Amino acid sequence: MSNRQPALSPSSVRRRPIRPVRLGAALVISLSLVAAACGRDDETTTDGGNSSETTAPGAAPFIDPAKDCLEGYEPTKGVNGTEILVGTVRPTTGPARIYDTVTKGLEKYFESVNAKGGVKAGDGTSYTIKLVKGDDGYDPGKTPGVVQSLVETDGIFAMVGQIGTETNEAVKSYMNTKCVPSIGLSTGSPGWGQNNTSPWYIGGLPSYALEAGAFLDFYSKTKPEAKIALLYQNDDFGKAYQGAIKKWITDNNSKITLVAEQPYDATSSQTTEAATAELAGSGADLFFVGIGGSQCPITLTFIPATWTPDVYTSITCSGKLALSLAQGKDEGIYSTQATLDPASAEDQTNAKVQAFLTDGAAVGLTKDELEGGIVSVGWGLGALFARSLELSPKMTRADVMNTLWQFDGEQVGLFRDGVPLTTDNDVDPWLIEAMRVVKRTGGQWVEAGPIVDYAGTSNSFAS
Amino acid sequence: MSEFFQFVVIGLGNGAVYAMVGMGLVVIYRSTGVLNFSQGEIAMFSTFIVWSAHEAGLPLPLALVVGMIAGAAIGAVLFRIAVQPLGDSKANPLPVVIATIGLFLAVNASASLVWGSESKPFEKLFGLGALEIGSVSIDYQKIGALAVLAVEVLAFQLLFNRTKLGLAMRSVASNPESSALAGVPVNRVLLAGWGLAAAIGAVAGTFTAPNFGIDANLMLNTLVFAFAAIALGGFDSLIGAVVGGLIVGVLTDVAPRYIDAIDKMPLAPAFLLIVAVLLFRPEGLFGTRRVQRV
Amino acid sequence: MSGSVLEEPPTVRPGVVPSGPFGGRVSWRWIGWIGAVIVLIVTPHVLDAFWTGKVTGWVCLAVAAQGLNLLTGYNGQISAGHGALYGLGAYTCAIWVDHFDGQFLGGVALAAIVSFAAGLLIGLPALRIKGLYLALVTLAVATLFPDLVKQLEGITGGQQGLKMSEPVPYRGTVVQQNVKWVAPEWTGLADDQWRFYVFAVIALACFALTANLVRSRMGRAMVAIRDNEVAAETNGVPVARVKVVTFGLSSALAGVGGALFALWQTQVFPLSFTLTASLYFLVAVVLGGPSSVIGPAIGAISYGLFEDVLSKKVLPERWQSLTPLILGVLLVVLMQLAPGGTVGMVQTLRRRRLARRASGVLQPAGQTVDQATDPATPDDPATDDPVLDDPATPDPTND
Repeated sequence: MSNRQPALSPSSVRRRPIRPVRLGAALVISLSLVAAACGRDDETTTDGGNSSETTAPGAAPFIDPAKDCLEGYEPTKGVNGTEILVGTVRPTTGPARIYDTVTKGLEKYFESVNAKGGVKAGDGTSYTIKLVKGDDGYDPGKTPGVVQSLVETDGIFAMVGQIGTETNEAVKSYMNTKCVPSIGLSTGSPGWGQNNTSPWYIGGLPSYALEAGAFLDFYSKTKPEAKIALLYQNDDFGKAYQGAIKKWITDNNSKITLVAEQPYDATSSQTTEAATAELAGSGADLFFVGIGGSQCPITLTFIPATWTPDVYTSITCSGKLALSLAQGKDEGIYSTQATLDPASAEDQTNAKVQAFLTDGAAVGLTKDELEGGIVSVGWGLGALFARSLELSPKMTRADVMNTLWQFDGEQVGLFRDGVPLTTDNDVDPWLIEAMRVVKRTGGQWVEAGPIVDYAGTSNSFAS
Repeated sequence: MSEFFQFVVIGLGNGAVYAMVGMGLVVIYRSTGVLNFSQGEIAMFSTFIVWSAHEAGLPLPLALVVGMIAGAAIGAVLFRIAVQPLGDSKANPLPVVIATIGLFLAVNASASLVWGSESKPFEKLFGLGALEIGSVSIDYQKIGALAVLAVEVLAFQLLFNRTKLGLAMRSVASNPESSALAGVPVNRVLLAGWGLAAAIGAVAGTFTAPNFGIDANLMLNTLVFAFAAIALGGFDSLIGAVVGGLIVGVLTDVAPRYIDAIDKMPLAPAFLLIVAVLLFRPEGLFGTRRVQRV
Repeated sequence: MSGSVLEEPPTVRPGVVPSGPFGGRVSWRWIGWIGAVIVLIVTPHVLDAFWTGKVTGWVCLAVAAQGLNLLTGYNGQISAGHGALYGLGAYTCAIWVDHFDGQFLGGVALAAIVSFAAGLLIGLPALRIKGLYLALVTLAVATLFPDLVKQLEGITGGQQGLKMSEPVPYRGTVVQQNVKWVAPEWTGLADDQWRFYVFAVIALACFALTANLVRSRMGRAMVAIRDNEVAAETNGVPVARVKVVTFGLSSALAGVGGALFALWQTQVFPLSFTLTASLYFLVAVVLGGPSSVIGPAIGAISYGLFEDVLSKKVLPERWQSLTPLILGVLLVVLMQLAPGGTVGMVQTLRRRRLARRASGVLQPAGQTVDQATDPATPDDPATDDPVLDDPATPDPTND
């Protein structure tokens, strides 16, 4: 009994050994560049979608639903009159539940914007945005069911700000099939840079690989022979840092060395205490904390008094709320920053932050939430989605995505003034590529190095 | 080599917590014959009360006492409404197991509802200082945990051997029917057992929370370690819980560091040890041998 | 004792009413099976693709719960570790399909074999370790399984999971898309319907085999061991062999359930197979009623209804995080009202009804009505209701 439809003839396709999809896609990216040069292959099985696309000004649209959809394309599903229905999935339970606060920011942004009359979209109509939330408990086994429910039962137009790397990966196949956008993923996994195989996904955070590389660019100026001890989360997220550090060292022929690495299982029952103790034995100059969730700041409390390295913490744990778990041991640590920090006295003089504080309070956010640094991430993702609607000439899924793939120096939400959002299809698939290194001083983030714009180069940092 | 001692110290610190939760499990098992799946959650809930009391201004030790008392009350009430009506669990354990699983879910969800879902910082009871011996750093917090554990063991010894309540508890544990006939208020004794277990749980949680931040999933995995501790030590032995807890703690923190093949399976050595022990001594290291009348 | 109290007409025994419609010529058992088949045939045509998909997922749980039921309900060995065996089956199938390009059903068969072997392996030490200690050891297995998956990252994909995927032409290149169930042309069915039928057939086969097993000598041996191991041994039951084989069979069923789960999801992650999964199997078994063949199906459906329907459709969004709270309270209440699960509740009601009827038919001297209606008496085989009934309980009225 054959239950499977052979996709291509067996002799022409070899099954690959198991690896994460993104590594396989890396092999494929070179093929795709060739294929792009030679024009499109029309072997794809598609359903003729009713798409009358208007091309965004400038370049050819990245997505052509007539050719690029694996199943039925529903261009305006979720656009109900003057309301656009969007979905998001986040964990309200489990080790990553702290990120539920991101969703709160997203929700409150839409509330705020709706109260002001909605988003004035590029087709001239003002739309209110309704958010439907799903919960997958950060378990990629549950995510497909939740997303399927949102797409097929609730009928959302797009996903916004979905949280987690593996959770998003778990539905990539499905989203490709259903041709539903997922905008502003709350993850910077380098895999999203291979956007030819995931054109409906666009990240809302900078690439983790770029983050590591940018910091090493800064750090190597003063410590060109530093020894690094790395604590990395044992999944796509942490391994992105690991790969990027190693690649940076090789690409720059640097004298910096990675002398010790410890994986950490975020879903395990253990603290990072023992792993940190083991890393301390290496006597390294830099302790790179490449983990997320509440163990990230808590790791700082496990650094023994006998070890005094420079410490770098992932951008995902740099918010004030997260750092409060460090019980004061966050003094002097480094991180990178692409957004304005509502808790920073300096940034509070910025008009965008003031607007955020005012608008946020108006929809019920507390002072702690506003300054916590996690709500503001969600707020920014909402602003990103709103901007894509503002710039898109039509409210169809493909148009909105194609608009996002042609951002040209947009200043959105709470991104810093020197951080323009720019993309160009698969030539420049990353929105956020400018950042600065910051150092924690007196409970505040202070600039340690100026904003550097790495436009178009994020993929080169990924291993 | 000093690294090794450092890992042992970390293991002992964690093991103390497992031992505490394990002791609570033993107290409940001895009196009711029930393996209480909700022990961890009740402990977590009580710890949240400690946190709230501390946030409200009470110094942490006092907040702990408040949490212990409130926890004891909650534990007793939960026993009364969920377990007591099910009758003798030794005869039919499955419904009671399911009821405690139900409590597990309900208490966990309630904590999220009351206190929200973010992890909140929790102060260390014994402060941030540490004792430096050579290059090994021993947190005051860890020394404190072991000290408190010792105090708890002593307290239980006194309770069981010197007080009327303790005598009643031992009597109920060994033969509920005869105790009832002898006039022992069996149900009240059982209530006391659950209350005591919850109180120890609050202490255990107070030592666990600083390392994770306090949230509803605090004791999720600690419970499994505590089960391991009592499986090793024997379900009905308090000393067994202590020894078992410390061994499990040390093994779990030390072994994965040296054996690469299990570096992602921290629980493996402890459980292998348990299976080995149970194969030769099915009642655990310190448990009482059950003789069955045929 | 027999014959001493009174001589009864042979066709009527106290408390026995011929059961089954049409005057007992067709037993409830056959009605039950035929009814189940009809429901299964009709379901994917009545539900849309989305809900057919959801219900297909429930089938996996039902098969796994049946496995646990065999071990815990019929044989009295408590296991908190069936989540691990479920996961073992799931990963075996996933590795077979993705790594070895195997056929889907081959994956199911392989999963059954591997899980059976694992069950035998656990069953052996289980001979020495009994009762709650056994529960804890199986709990250990359940806790270790996801860690083991992460340790063997190379074959299992570790925390990132394992997708059963195939290359598909896309946008001028090739992308790895998850494998699909495709209905063969000759059936004229939609893909989701086809998948449901395949699952249903496998589940029915498992249930039928189980029903057969519990009525066989092996089944009687299992129950005898549960009720009194020493007595069983004295009576010549090969206790060790039966216990170990039961563990094996029970694990095989869990493995099949897991393989189906993998084929349903087309991807597997270690987080799906933690201790929590084991506990939910236990819940499903108890909800349905331990030691009845249909119990696990009822339990799985109840749990599925709760998770997918009640908590997502009926409850307003604000209350959705209350789902575990509601489930927890439900379990606590249920254990007080109906510790025998759904089937137990039905049995109790029937027994009361039959006893009331029987007291009108014949009142044996010396036996009060209370005795006949006391729900605490052990299962009365005289009701002769094989679908709901535990057939192997020794007849308590034989003295």
